[in-house]
Formats: sequence, structure tokens, C-alpha cells
Amino acid sequence: MSDDIDVRLEQQVAEFYQSLGIHQGPGDIQYRLILKVLSKNEGKITEFSEIREYTDMFADKGSIGSKMKTIFQLEGLAEKVKRGGYTITDKGITASNFLKDTTAFYKKNKRMGEIIERMP
Amino acid sequence: MSTGILLNATICFAIALSSFAFAWVLARDGKEHNEKSKPALWSLIVLWILVGLTYLPTTVRMIAAYMGNQQLDLFMYYIAAVPFSFVAVPLVFFILYVIIGDQKISGVISALFVLFGAAYLALFFSSGVIGPTITPLTSLFTINSDIAINIYLIGLFVIPTAMIIGLLFLIFLQRMPKRLRYRTALPLVAISFVFDFMLTDMITLDDAMQLAARIFVLIGTVQAFLAYFPPLTLQEKLGIQKYEYNLYEKEEDTEFDEYDEEEADINV
Repeated sequence: MSDDIDVRLEQQVAEFYQSLGIHQGPGDIQYRLILKVLSKNEGKITEFSEIREYTDMFADKGSIGSKMKTIFQLEGLAEKVKRGGYTITDKGITASNFLKDTTAFYKKNKRMGEIIERMP
Repeated sequence: MSTGILLNATICFAIALSSFAFAWVLARDGKEHNEKSKPALWSLIVLWILVGLTYLPTTVRMIAAYMGNQQLDLFMYYIAAVPFSFVAVPLVFFILYVIIGDQKISGVISALFVLFGAAYLALFFSSGVIGPTITPLTSLFTINSDIAINIYLIGLFVIPTAMIIGLLFLIFLQRMPKRLRYRTALPLVAISFVFDFMLTDMITLDDAMQLAARIFVLIGTVQAFLAYFPPLTLQEKLGIQKYEYNLYEKEEDTEFDEYDEEEADINV
């Protein structure tokens, strides 16, 4: 696995958003990981097997494939360029940037929460 | 002798008493705080004890000045200087621990401030003081060492004050619930009040300014009390009241998917 994608962190961020009632998008670990892998390979083809390297611990092949089709392809975040091969679109990059902001917000919020926790 | 000095003594006594009481209340309610906040809590207790220990001899000093006992006045000034020199230590620990959360690093850095305090005390005792100058409002001493005053200003006050301001900015820049904002910002403002006006108190050569500084120290102590134990009316006014969950008793047969009449009206 690549060091670029911190699966544990992504899981924590997703759980944080789920705790706020946001179960899709930033609160969905599968969405986060797929988008992370796609944006890591910007300008290149992302193999489905590469996505599964990250998502296998959270979901089966079928649900990832379904997510690729119903969310990423349908909304135009990724394009299927060959069998089992995807590239991220400009819209996908926008979504990826938003995802980065959600991680930054999580970190900021966590840091502040810890500061408040330490305040007597 | 002037009654102004007695007023001054009363204010000093009020500061000492309220600081000790506050420290005691914080220590007594220590179990209510979570484990992570315990180190910060104890540094806060030490801070308020040191404030109390500074103003208790100062009270005696004012009474001595009122009675014209210059020896006791000078002796008490020296005694008050000791806890005063180390006030910055628990404060620095408190701020650093709250920000970085590492007890070791906070301990080491605050130990540096012990050195600052010790250096200040060494210069203070070796150079001595000039005075006392008895005025209608107070008894003033002049520290006979510029280096001591510089150490005091830079090491003991500027850095900790900058830390408080930094932490305050950190809090104000965040969007957080009103109650949390009140709970975190007000103690810092109170500490800042006490700390900075203690500085003014110790170095000023103007009797009215010293008295005003002591009044502000007292206000700071009261602020700290209000920060931790806000009265109900203040909570209501500021909208920071914490409601108990058991105030609302849910009917047992109510189901979540049932519509309220109100909701039904809204969902047209």
C-alpha cells in the first residue's frame, strides 16, 4: 500500500462525519478511499484492483463496483476508459479538493476538541 | 495615617482570600474534571495559591505601613516577592499543557521560568530596594536593579502574556458553542487580568495606579470565579445554560416515527 493514503485517518474522518449525521460523501469511507486513489493517479489510469487494495477491508468487490458506477461514473467524477480502468475528471478533482478540506476541518476540530478537553 | 492605606489593605486581603478560596474550590471539585485536564487543573490551583501568597503578606505590609512600622513593611515586601516571582511558572505550564498536551515538554519549559524567577529574586535581594515611600493610598518601594526589572518584564510577564493572547486567539478564531467559548475564554481573560495587573502593581511608582491595579486584580479573581461557577442568571442572559436531560420526560408509548401536531403543520 502507498504511504500517500492513510486508511486509518480516512476511517477516523469518515466516522467523525458519520457522528455528525453525514453518512454519505465525506462520511462514507468507500467514497473517500475511491476518490483518494483516483486523485492520487491524476492523469493516469487507475486500476480497479488498486482501488480494492484500500477498500477490501471495508467493503466487498460488488459494492465498490456499484459505487463506481452509481456515484463516480453517473455523477461524472470518473470516467471508465477500459475494462477495470478509470481516470478522474475535473469534477472529480473538485470533489477531491473538497475531501481534503473535510480532512483539514476534521483535524482542526479534533485539535480544538483536545484543547478544550485539557482545559479544566 | 490615611484610611486610603486601609482600603488598600482591605483590597489586598480580599484578593488573597478569594484566591485561596478559589484554589480550594478547584481542588475540592477536582474529581469532577477528566484525567486529561488534571495537570492543567493543578497548575491553576498552584497559580491561585501563589496569587494568594503574594497578596497575604502585602495585606500585612499595608497594615504595617498604616501603623508606621517600616521594618515589617520591608520584610513583608521581601516575603511577597518570593511567590510573586514564580507566578509565571504554573501559568506557563497551564498554557503549554492546554495547547500541546505534553506534560514533559510543558514541565521542562515552565522549569525555565523557575530559572527566570530565581534570577529575578537573586538580583532583587542582592540589589535591594529603595523605600518605603508612604503616600495617602499605599506604601511604595523601588527595585534598585534595572536588570531585575528587565528580567521581570520580559521573562516573567511578556512571554506568558503573549501565550495567553495566543491561546485566546486560537479560541476566538474557532466556531464553537457559546457555553464552551465562555468556559474557555473567560478563565484566560481572568488570569490575564490578574497577571498583568500584578505586574503593574509591583513596578508602578504611582500610588493611585497601584490601587487601581489591585482593584483590577480583584476583578480578575471574581471573573475567574464567574468563569468556573457562573450564576444561573448570568447563564440565562448569556445563553450558556446547560439543560439537564431528565427535565424532559418522554412518554413511554411515543414512537419516533409518529408525527407531532406541530411537525404536521410545518410539513405542508
